[in-house]
Amino acid sequence: MVVLRYMRGPIFALIIVYAIGITGMALIPGLDADGKPAHMSLFHAFYFFTYTATTTGFGEIPTEFTDAQRLWAIVCIYMGVIAWLYAIGSIFRLVQNPHFLLALNEHRFARSVRRIQQPFFIVCGFGDTGSLLARGLSDHWLRGVIIDTNPERIKALGLRDYHVDMPGLCADPAVPKHLIDAGVRMPNCQALVILTIDEEINSRIATMTRLLNPDLHILCRSSSKRHTKHLNSLGNITIINPFEIFAQLLGMAITAPRLHNLNACLVRNPEAKLGEPIQVPPGDWVICGYGRMGRWMYRYFGQHGINPVIIDPEAKNVEGAARIINQHANRDSLLAAGIERAAGVVAGTDSDHVNLSILMSVKALKPDAFTIVRQNSHENQIAFDAANANLVMQSSLTTARRVLKHLISPQVQMFIDYLRDEGEDICAQAVDRLRSLIGDKPPHLWQVVLCEADASAVIERLQQGRKLSLGELRRDPHDLAGSLPCMPLSIARGGEHIMLPTDSELLQPGDELLFCGTEPGERMLSASMNNAYTLNYLITGVDEPRGYFFRWLDQRGRDLPLSN
Amino acid sequence: MNLERVVFGFVIILALTFTFAFVMGDIDNASHHNVWMLTIAILINLIATGLKLGDRSQVGALLLASSLVVDVLLIAARVVWVVAENETVSGPGPESLANIVSLAGGALIASLVTVVIVVGDTLISRR
Repeated sequence: MVVLRYMRGPIFALIIVYAIGITGMALIPGLDADGKPAHMSLFHAFYFFTYTATTTGFGEIPTEFTDAQRLWAIVCIYMGVIAWLYAIGSIFRLVQNPHFLLALNEHRFARSVRRIQQPFFIVCGFGDTGSLLARGLSDHWLRGVIIDTNPERIKALGLRDYHVDMPGLCADPAVPKHLIDAGVRMPNCQALVILTIDEEINSRIATMTRLLNPDLHILCRSSSKRHTKHLNSLGNITIINPFEIFAQLLGMAITAPRLHNLNACLVRNPEAKLGEPIQVPPGDWVICGYGRMGRWMYRYFGQHGINPVIIDPEAKNVEGAARIINQHANRDSLLAAGIERAAGVVAGTDSDHVNLSILMSVKALKPDAFTIVRQNSHENQIAFDAANANLVMQSSLTTARRVLKHLISPQVQMFIDYLRDEGEDICAQAVDRLRSLIGDKPPHLWQVVLCEADASAVIERLQQGRKLSLGELRRDPHDLAGSLPCMPLSIARGGEHIMLPTDSELLQPGDELLFCGTEPGERMLSASMNNAYTLNYLITGVDEPRGYFFRWLDQRGRDLPLSN
Repeated sequence: MNLERVVFGFVIILALTFTFAFVMGDIDNASHHNVWMLTIAILINLIATGLKLGDRSQVGALLLASSLVVDVLLIAARVVWVVAENETVSGPGPESLANIVSLAGGALIASLVTVVIVVGDTLISRR
């Protein structure tokens, strides 16, 4: 509609010019093929004017023109060409109008979101974290809808080769209209993830979303106390504080190295190898930089009985610290902190350059110290790879991994927490079992809900009142004695969670099963769950006849035993 | 070994070979095409269709569909033969015969698809 309104002037001009030209041409007397006086018909006049005004110029049709006609033809040419130039110029101006383009993009985006049938997630902010998260979603065939204020980022999104379609909009996500366009109110919207850099904007988006959809689950990155407090009051929200998470992970690495290793493998950390945990040495530690990361690290070190030395020009009155050195971290201050005796060093300032130079000093002063480094920008990846620290804390990666774990299934984190409470022995057993199933392949997590859409054969069987155990479902259709490379981690049934279910566990409709295994394993399991014949074969070991005739034959064979 | 697979495989491969035996030869030469071959091919294929009734798997549905296509084409060819039988002393004239054989040729392709699906499915299941 806006196009028509914009084109009103040019269209009027064209109609008037056409009317004048055609009428004139039809009124001016000419000659027919025999040289007798004749008038051009209205259709011929329209034909002549059409090819003249658009500068096609077929010549004088149907007969040669008289001088009077040629005179009018000159008028027609100038009038028509100018009117067309005006019209075409208007169209170009409209197409190049940034506001028009914006409106067009918004419209397209809203339409492609409305068409999504499957469950999807909204991601606000497509920076380092957002783009890592989108990659993770795509790896698990989950759908995302992305909003970012930066047009360059949305352009970059268009060039990614995701397994699933991820519509992107360049707009302010704190504006309610854009949130609705992104599908906040759609029933298949599973969660909204807020990952912009600005905490203030994050909190505004969360508030808007809560008003627009009181039930939607929100995941929000936040590392400031004030905003966290406000966000918590909104309800049904998960706050992701990358610094706190990393400090927790560090605590896990100190007390439960096997679990830390399992967790790193589950989030597909390429450096982690299943069953080869990292050992964080106890002893004297040095923390360089007492900012957001330094504070959290310090707190978790303290919980595990380690009192580190702090090097920071501004740190004051830190309770329980072994020593505070109010200097910038460099060779001298590291020496002053007693680097020769230190078991490990944390390079945790908010400058990648400073962190890398701390690492280099440590490598020179004490090559065998355990090093933990904070990487602020994803662009510096190669430099950090070369620096070869024992643990790298990259805020965007930590956030994206934690969010992805939540989006795959909230059960993942519950499972990790369960293992932490159960202790290292249970964890070691679980890791051994997982390794025996998948070998050295990277573990792949997925959740299956026993419902008609995802497990039709299982539901059919259960509704017939027949039992099905987890072990029967996991059998390998190619080798009934073996099982598919997939290990059930937990089952959510009603409000309860069954952790590390055994093979004798009986399944029920509506169960949410969290599996860990390989991607081919996921496909095989899905095939077993949706094909009644395969499922039956897994349970009985007999390939049942499929057609009516053979079923009848089979039944007769049973009724009349051959021994008679 | 599964009796159903043996019987079904036998029937569809037999149907394919009979159809091929009928199609072989010059397209408009009546002495190259025996109407008995065509009739037997129809019968065998109808049996194959019957055997697939009742299979609820995806592969079963595809097999049923392709064998229905074969039925339709072969029966159409046989109907054309009946109509054109008296055109010449030795049976249908060259034009009608060309129609009949091309219909049977179409059925041959569909038969081939059925056999490929059965072989593929058997290889994938590897039991």
